[in-house]
Amino acid sequence: MRETNWTPARPARGILAARPGFAARSVAGLGQTLVSGDLDAALAALAPGAPLIGLYGLAPDGAYALRVARDRALLVTPAPIGPADGWRQGWCATAVDDGWAAVDVEGDGAGLVLMQGTSADLAAGSPSAAVLFAGQRVLLARRPNGFRLHVEAPRLEALLKWLDGA
Amino acid sequence: MLFPCPFCGPRDETEFHYVGEPKPRPEPAGTVGEADWADYLYVNANPRGPAREIWLHLACMDMFVMTRDTATNAVLGAETPGRAS
Ligand SMILES: [Zn+2]
Repeated sequence: MRETNWTPARPARGILAARPGFAARSVAGLGQTLVSGDLDAALAALAPGAPLIGLYGLAPDGAYALRVARDRALLVTPAPIGPADGWRQGWCATAVDDGWAAVDVEGDGAGLVLMQGTSADLAAGSPSAAVLFAGQRVLLARRPNGFRLHVEAPRLEALLKWLDGA
Repeated sequence: MLFPCPFCGPRDETEFHYVGEPKPRPEPAGTVGEADWADYLYVNANPRGPAREIWLHLACMDMFVMTRDTATNAVLGAETPGRAS
């Protein structure tokens, strides 16, 4: 395979992959904002009350933030919030609404997909929600009927290809 | 095999990337000769037994020093330079 021949990316909407036992569905319309620096101050200003969650923490229906590193997180809101880019009072925001994709994997087989995708000890927890899943760096959250992956948009097609074969 | 990220805790070794041996860069650059630069870039102690190594955790991008026994692969410790872990 020539490395210049990239698989055309499927449009990131609707059902993205479906196999016996699970379906992967695009979570459309979310606001996604990368925040750096003082995370508590950033969340208080941008989305008061949004929980800061780590690896495989429960993502609520409302706003939440997935911690990436000591001083970085991805704030997820039900709709784009249009933050002013740049630094202020110790923190910085960057809107990446469609720069990142969100995928819900749901169904009876979702747990098995999760075990195949990552070797992380999800029961043990971890401050960072970032993990390698199917070889891709993703942010992983738990959902009532499965799990949610946030991934940089250019990596989505590779992730879906893997899900096609899961 | 699990490696200890100072921030994330134990994670699978596949999430980590080896960076190199911790050693001071010769300074100032303008006065450092070719031989010294070559030593700095290419010559490593590569000890058998306990070794201090710089590793990057690809999930959170924490860069840290891990002490590892290169003969047994046992992890002996991890610390973030400049931060009590
Ligand atoms: Zn880490």
